[in-house]
Amino acid sequence: MKYRTWTKNKNSAGQEMVAACCRLLTLGLLVAGFAATASAGPREQAKRIHDRLAGVPPSELVLQQMEAEVDQFQAGSAIDAAYRAMDNPNFYNITLKNFAAPWTNRAGDVFVPLNDYVATVVGMIRDDVPFNTLLSADIIYVGANNLGLPAYSNNNNDHYATLEANGLDMMTGLERRVQSNVTGLPQQATAGVVTTRAAAEAFFVAGTNRAMFRFTMVNHLCNDMEQVHDTNLIPDRIRKDVSRSPGGDSRLFLNSCIGCHTGMDPLAGAYAYYNFNETSGNIEYTPGVVQSKYFNNEANFPGGYQTTDDSWINYWREGQNRYLGWDPTRPGNGNGARTMGEELGNSDAFAACQVKKVFRAVCLRPPEDATDRGQVDQMIASFTAGGSYSMKQTFAEAAVYCMGQ
Amino acid sequence: MISMKGIAMALLQKDFVAALRASTLAGLSAVLLAACGGGAPTVDNPVTSITPPVTYQGPAPATEDVQAFKLNLWDNVQVSNRCGGCHNEDFGQTPLFARHDDVNLAYEAANTVADLGQPSDSRLVSKVATGHNCWLSDAQACSDIMTTWIQGWAGAAAEGGRDIILEDPPLNAPGASKNFANATLANFANLVHEPILTTYCADCHSSSAPTPQQPYFAEADVAIAFEAARPKIDLDDPSKSRLVIRLRNEFHNCWDVGCAQAANAMEAAIQDFADTVPLTEVDPDLVTSMALKIVEGTIASGGNRYENAQIALWEFKTGNGLTAFDTSGVDPAIDLTLSGEVTWFGGWGITINDGKAQGTTAASKKLHDLIQATGEYSIEAWVVPFNVTQEMSKIVTYSAGNDARNFTLQQTLYDYNFLHRSTTTGANGDNPQLSTPAADEILQATLQHVVATYSPIDGRAIYVNGELVTPQGDPATPGTLVDWQDTFAFVLGNEASGDGLWQGVLRMVAIHNRTLTPEQIVQNFDVGVGEKFYLLFSIADIINVPSSYILFAVAQFDSFGYIFDEPHFITLGGAPAVEGVALEGMRIGLNGTEVPVGQSFGKIVQTLSSAQFGELGQPLSPLAAVLPLEKGPQEDEFFLTFDLLGDQSYVRIDDPALVIVETDLPPAQRIGVRTFDEINATMAAVTGVDPETLDVDVTYQKLRQSLPTIEDPQAFLSSHQVAIAQLAIEYCHALVDGPGAAAYFNGFDFALSPDVAYAGASRNQVIDPLIDRIMGIGVLTQPDFVDVRDELGYFTTDGVRPDNLIDRFLVSADNPNSASIAKGVCAAILGSAVTLVQ
Repeated sequence: MKYRTWTKNKNSAGQEMVAACCRLLTLGLLVAGFAATASAGPREQAKRIHDRLAGVPPSELVLQQMEAEVDQFQAGSAIDAAYRAMDNPNFYNITLKNFAAPWTNRAGDVFVPLNDYVATVVGMIRDDVPFNTLLSADIIYVGANNLGLPAYSNNNNDHYATLEANGLDMMTGLERRVQSNVTGLPQQATAGVVTTRAAAEAFFVAGTNRAMFRFTMVNHLCNDMEQVHDTNLIPDRIRKDVSRSPGGDSRLFLNSCIGCHTGMDPLAGAYAYYNFNETSGNIEYTPGVVQSKYFNNEANFPGGYQTTDDSWINYWREGQNRYLGWDPTRPGNGNGARTMGEELGNSDAFAACQVKKVFRAVCLRPPEDATDRGQVDQMIASFTAGGSYSMKQTFAEAAVYCMGQ
Repeated sequence: MISMKGIAMALLQKDFVAALRASTLAGLSAVLLAACGGGAPTVDNPVTSITPPVTYQGPAPATEDVQAFKLNLWDNVQVSNRCGGCHNEDFGQTPLFARHDDVNLAYEAANTVADLGQPSDSRLVSKVATGHNCWLSDAQACSDIMTTWIQGWAGAAAEGGRDIILEDPPLNAPGASKNFANATLANFANLVHEPILTTYCADCHSSSAPTPQQPYFAEADVAIAFEAARPKIDLDDPSKSRLVIRLRNEFHNCWDVGCAQAANAMEAAIQDFADTVPLTEVDPDLVTSMALKIVEGTIASGGNRYENAQIALWEFKTGNGLTAFDTSGVDPAIDLTLSGEVTWFGGWGITINDGKAQGTTAASKKLHDLIQATGEYSIEAWVVPFNVTQEMSKIVTYSAGNDARNFTLQQTLYDYNFLHRSTTTGANGDNPQLSTPAADEILQATLQHVVATYSPIDGRAIYVNGELVTPQGDPATPGTLVDWQDTFAFVLGNEASGDGLWQGVLRMVAIHNRTLTPEQIVQNFDVGVGEKFYLLFSIADIINVPSSYILFAVAQFDSFGYIFDEPHFITLGGAPAVEGVALEGMRIGLNGTEVPVGQSFGKIVQTLSSAQFGELGQPLSPLAAVLPLEKGPQEDEFFLTFDLLGDQSYVRIDDPALVIVETDLPPAQRIGVRTFDEINATMAAVTGVDPETLDVDVTYQKLRQSLPTIEDPQAFLSSHQVAIAQLAIEYCHALVDGPGAAAYFNGFDFALSPDVAYAGASRNQVIDPLIDRIMGIGVLTQPDFVDVRDELGYFTTDGVRPDNLIDRFLVSADNPNSASIAKGVCAAILGSAVTLVQ
């Protein structure tokens, strides 16, 4: 690849001066820009909607159309304007891609190559697939056959990396597939983005598979383990590898470790048959055979729980974490990642998390007062209404709410 | 008496309403004393130094058992500073089990005070345990040694057999205690919550804190705070409240008065609160078993270990003082002197923070002599490393310093290292050393049983928790021990020279002068470590079956907790068979209340059945529970509760769901900056340049991670602006030099000289399309069109501000051409806030 710097091959003296002028002007205009926000009319609000959803300013034509839709005295509605903004490919190629990318790695790094996890999120939002199935559906999105991409591989990410490197448009280039057909996992073993190769590489690799659960909680229920810490639950599913006396001090276990593991370990049992093989680069699924990682360091506490299958149980249906809002029509236990993904995906916390993430992404801030929280509640109701779980609608509602701010 | 596999267990049925075990023992003792024939009162042994053993010249041992008695017990007790000073034919203190004239007669006497079926229950042991002429400063150590000698006589050690006798325990109802159920929210609010918790802890322990940290005991809603604070408060002893300990002992976020004062304030507040809570009985609605203290249980530990070749043993039972006794019974004892920051660990053990436990070189010579005699040995230890970051830290060593040793077991990060001096490994035993594989991370900061063995045939090996963890074998060919030195010192937790500190807990250390076999190692691992008791919680009143119990193996887990293991249902004596009794939800109560944490059996569902009786009765769960220690093993009183047992049940009320009361956040900026991909796409959109254009794309990929990654304007850095400027210039270069320039700058002639091209209103053909495309037309949230155009092309210096940008380019010494000036104007606006802000 050819690399060069701008100072070496152009009118260097002039450009240095330009850069200096550029900085001065930027500061001045930045202040001017801040000061001007108070006078937002339909045109400005339309531009704000487009900026926040597509990440780029609208063309003059689109701006005029959106301005008319935002204008309450003309036909259409602000929601229509938001949907028009989401017709811009950059909504998918930039906004949604970077919305999802941090979920696919432990560091929360947005600078990761496009992967099947991100593409599936983008595709599900594009196609308005009910988002509560994100963690459980037999679904995956791949690049269209006519794009000339390397075929999807269980061993590498070339398919998606090439799609991104070639600057291809995900608004038109992504196609929905049945995940089990693409990856070869048994149908009952698929669980939406949880069983994508990218998720497996990040969270099923080595360790004890608790990482998959923790990061799913962080990314999709907006709660890390500290926020669901409850020491009063029954710890009978905490595995043997958790020392009950770290460094010879059981207080650490009884006051800290137990609070997370009481809820996490019985739920993470759902992943007992999964592993990511670093050598082959494949996700592995061993139905009926618990992965050996579930028996790591089992001499640490022989009186701990011995995983025997992929059963899971949600102890957070009891105690203080009931506030996460579990679906009362579900049993709260089951086998495998799919049913556990359904348990999480149909919780109030899941819906609230998605809405708050969208609010943050579009309004560029968290909900901060009663008015904002009321809006979030309204968006949650809209998100879950009729089982639609439409993320596009949520994006649109957030953009409209913040368009005049 | 019922014999069971492995353990010959006699389940003695006594009176259902039995006397306290202590009184039972006293009565038993009285019987034993009478059987011994009484005799003159014992007096303190006046001899304090060891008289060299007299060569035995009496009649030969008449039987093999007498010979075993002589070798294992008589040879050890007949010396003058032990029993031989009084219990001999000359002094006449009966029983004459240490007489020197006839070992057969001594044998007869010894049989009256030794219990070969249960050596620890021998009269010989109980006497020295009470301090009767113990030859050491610790009566416990004497009793342990005496037990070992009697076990050797009985031959129990070789087979690992040991009798455990379960007896009906005393029947006491659970005692009264202060209970949160009788505390009022108002008192908590006024005495603890308002003055302390919300004042000093709310910055973290509140759901509205910037980084919420459960438990939310400083929540604004006092009801929520109270629920969260309950497990952290000890009403019976406020000083043991977790809220106090966190400040006083762990220095956790103390406020400005310092930790001591903060802890005092917290304790005083809790004390005031506790004073408002009346002492109450156990919740009468609970279905409870009878209560027990640990000391009322049957000792279950110590049996079954393989100790035939054990030549040194430290169990750290003393619990105070500065000496850890070698209770192997093999003379000379290597009693270790504790120095530095070495403290006693609850439930047997020592904690080494910064010090060591060292024996004398004279006593340590025992190891040299006895190991050289066999040419093989094993180091066995129960350890709890504090961390996995310490390196070359000596856990067990027999050495002179860092350069010379006979053997050492040490920690290096996640590895155990075994250094062994031989003719093939050098004077320091590390050429090479044997290590556990680093990738396996064998060593963990938790309780582990580690055994290092040396065999002249197979060399070294390390076993952890009963498993061989050095399958690669000894990297050195086994040599001989001819180079071993007898002047070295045996040390735990440090190098003899003091520069190899290991931080952790040692709960037991033993040295054997044989290579333990894998089976023997597993046998010792299975026995476990520490003082373990069988507690029999009576449920007779509930299921109406006499002498019916829930049995637990209970031990002090560490200095701060107990472990309840091996739950079984059992009946003693001739109790009728039990079938079909439902048991659900079993919890452990402590000092009058259910323990709020660690209830591993809380969801148990079982049907009690005598038909399922095994060694200890009907197993109820493979799990174990760790529970917090409150008043200590002597005082803590336990009982069991049941959600359902037989026909009695308790309806448990679930904890309330957390109610998050959200509070307002400081107003945030309503605008933000575009992030990296958005900036790139925006520049492409407003210039019409394809972002895949080679030069543009190369520049962008290089700058991508230098551009803003978050929208917050407060996080915008000067380095971001530099990157934006570079990217803007690249786009403007591509625009002006590209095929789209003519259409974009409609009518502008870049071929003309700058002074002509930019003369008068001609410059608008560059300025206006840039402003219209980049800022947008008529967008009032953007700067005013005229202001920007003036800045770029029309403002005339007023002595404060310089001329507009184009005029300055025209007089620049760099003499830019028309295209370069256009690029500069383009970059100035493209790289500015009008593009960046969204």
